[in-house]
Amino acid sequence: MKLRDQFRFVRQNMKKNRTRVFMTILATAMGCAFLIVLASVGFGLQKSVVKEITERRVITQIDVHGKETKEQGMFRPLNDKDIQIFEELKDVKSVTRRKMLQQEGTYSIGKYQEGTPTFVTNFPAEIKAGFELSEGTFPKSKYEVAVGYNFLTNLADKDAGEDLYDEKGQVKAEYLYKGKLRGKEIKLTIRQFKAGKQIEKTIPLKVVGISTKPTKEWAQDSSVFISDEMLTEIERFTGTPKGYMLDANTNKVPDDLEVNKNAYDDVKIYAKNMESVQRISDQLKEKNYATYSVVNELKEVNMVFMIAKAGLIFIGTIAILIASIGIYNTMTMAVTERAPDIGIMKAIGASPKTIKRIFLLESSYIGLIGALIGTVVSYGISYTVNFAIPLIIKQAFGQETDLNLIFSDIPPILPIICIVICYSVTIISGLRPAQRATKVDVLKAMRREV
Amino acid sequence: MITIKSLSHDFVIGKKGRQTIIPVLRDISFTVEKGEIVTIVGRSGSGKSTLLNLVSGFIHPKEGEIWISGEKVSDLNETKFADFRINNLGFIFQSFQLIPSMTAFQNVELPLILKGINEKERKVQTEQMLQKVGLLEYQDHYPGELSGGQQQRVSIARALIVNPPIILADEPTGSLDSETEEELLKFIKELNRDLGITFLIITHDDKVANIGNRKIELKDGRIAEEVLV
Repeated sequence: MKLRDQFRFVRQNMKKNRTRVFMTILATAMGCAFLIVLASVGFGLQKSVVKEITERRVITQIDVHGKETKEQGMFRPLNDKDIQIFEELKDVKSVTRRKMLQQEGTYSIGKYQEGTPTFVTNFPAEIKAGFELSEGTFPKSKYEVAVGYNFLTNLADKDAGEDLYDEKGQVKAEYLYKGKLRGKEIKLTIRQFKAGKQIEKTIPLKVVGISTKPTKEWAQDSSVFISDEMLTEIERFTGTPKGYMLDANTNKVPDDLEVNKNAYDDVKIYAKNMESVQRISDQLKEKNYATYSVVNELKEVNMVFMIAKAGLIFIGTIAILIASIGIYNTMTMAVTERAPDIGIMKAIGASPKTIKRIFLLESSYIGLIGALIGTVVSYGISYTVNFAIPLIIKQAFGQETDLNLIFSDIPPILPIICIVICYSVTIISGLRPAQRATKVDVLKAMRREV
Repeated sequence: MITIKSLSHDFVIGKKGRQTIIPVLRDISFTVEKGEIVTIVGRSGSGKSTLLNLVSGFIHPKEGEIWISGEKVSDLNETKFADFRINNLGFIFQSFQLIPSMTAFQNVELPLILKGINEKERKVQTEQMLQKVGLLEYQDHYPGELSGGQQQRVSIARALIVNPPIILADEPTGSLDSETEEELLKFIKELNRDLGITFLIITHDDKVANIGNRKIELKDGRIAEEVLV
C-alpha cells in the first residue's frame, strides 16, 4: 500500500469523528505551545544575559589578575617578564599594561579642579588594542599627558561648595570648566605625609591628547595617562612605590607593594579573534595565571541556562505526555470502532504491517498537526509576552523595563525539539492501539463481535 | 488448484482448566481442480464454514495440509498469507462485508490500493469492474444506499478486481431474494466459463449446490458424500 494512499485513508478516517480528533489535536497543540513558551523564557533570558555580557565587555579581552605563587591560593602581581610571556603566545594581538598611581591625583586648571585616577601605560600596546584619540597626539615627553574623553565632566569650580551638585548628583553645568582642554596646562597636585605633616607638590603638565568617546553610553573615562618618567618623579617626591600615600600614623609602605613595586596593576590580553580566547585562557591557566574573560563568563552562564532550559523542556514534555493520553484514548477508540473495517481489510489481503502503519500514521499525523499548531500559537504568545509584559510592569510598578530584556525567545531549534518530542510521544502512544489493530480477529470483526 | 489433505480442526471453549474441545472437522481430504465449481453443502454445524475459513486462512488448521496453487498455505504466517490472499483469492460473503463508510467505488478499489496499484490505473480498472457488474452509475453510493443484490455485486466486483484464479464464497445468496439469486448464480457461471475462475462455494441452498461440477456433503465434520452434478 502506497504512503499516499495511507495518508488518504488516515484523512478519511479522521473525518469520521471530527470532534474527537479536533479535541485531541487541541490537547496536543496546547501541550506543544506550553513546552515551547516555557522553554522560550529560558532562551529569552539567556539571550538577554549574553547580550548584556557581550555588550559590556570586549569579547576578545582576557583580564590577567596575577600568577599563583608556590604558596597555593596566593597570587603575585604581573611584571615585564609575564608581559613578555603573554606577547609570545599565539594569536595574541596586544597586551596592555597599566600602573596606577597609588593616590588620587588632583588636577586643576585655574580655579577648576578634579580628582581622578592616574595611569602609566604602554601606548603602542594600547593603540594595538584599539585605544584611539579623538583629538591631539599621544604624549611624547615627561610633562605631556593624555586624558580620558570624560575628563571635563568633573572638572569643576573648587569654590562651589555644597552647591556643586544637582539633585541627580551631577556637577551643575554652571560650575564646569568650559574652556579648551587640548594644549592647556593642568596642574597635578601630589600629597604625602612626612613627619606627621601633609606636604604637597604641584607638577605642571600639558594636555596633548584626548581619548575617543567610550563606545558604551554608560561608560565614563576621565583617567589621566602620564609618562613613566613622571611616575619616577612622583615616586621621588613621595618616597614610596607608585606614589603611595602613607598613613599619617604608621608611615609604612605595605609589604606587597614594596616587593612588587615594578608590577602592573592592570593587565589585559587582546586576542586576534573570539575563537582563540578560550585557547589562550587555557594556556594561561596551565601556566597558573588567574584569568577572566567574557568567554569564561559566557561558558558559565550558558551552562546554567542549559540546565534551566533542559528543566523547562522536561516540564513542557510532561504537558505533551498528558496530551498523549488523549491520543492513546482516541486511537484506542478508533481501533474499537473500526474493528469491522479492519477485519474486512484483513480478509481481502491487508497485512498486519499495513494495518499497523495506517494507525501509527494516524496517531503521528494528529501529533504533527498538534505540534505545528502549537508552534504557530507559541510564536504568537511569545510575541505578545514580549510586547505586553513591559507594558504591564510599567502600569503595575510605574517602572520602565530595560529595553534589551527579552522575556521569550523561540530559536528555530526549539520548535524542532518540540516536534521531535511530540512525534516520538505520539508514535509511542499510538503504538499499542496500532498493535491491537493488527490483532483484530477477522471472523469476529466480520461478525461485528469486536 | 486446491488440495486438502487429512484436514482436522477443533475448537477449544471455556476457561483454562475447564476447557472443552469440540471437534469440527475430521480427516477431510479433497481436491478442487482448476476451472471447477465445487460446492460444499451440509447442515448447520457440519463444519462447512470452518472449512472455508481454514482455506481462506482466517483460522489455522490443527492438523492436515492445505495447498492452493502449489503453495502449502497451511504453513504460511499471517503476513505471508495476506500477501498470498491478495494475489490469489477473491471472497464473496453472505453479508457482503462492505466497508459502510466507503462508496461502492472505494470498496471495489480497496484491493488495488492494498496491492499498491497507482491511482490512475485503479480508476480505470475499478470503473471497468463496476461496469461489468452493472453498477457504474452507483459508484458514488454508499453500501447503505444500495439494495442487497447491488451490495453483493459490489462485493463480487471487489473480489474480481485483482483477477484472482480462485473465488471462495460463503453462502453467497444467503441474503438475496430469489430473483437476485438467479442473477448471481448466472453471473458466477459466466465468470467460471469466460474467465476460468475456480469457485469453492459453501451453501445450504440446493439451487446453489447444484450449479457446480461437484458437490461435497459434510456431516458431523466428515465428508459424507461427494457427487458429480
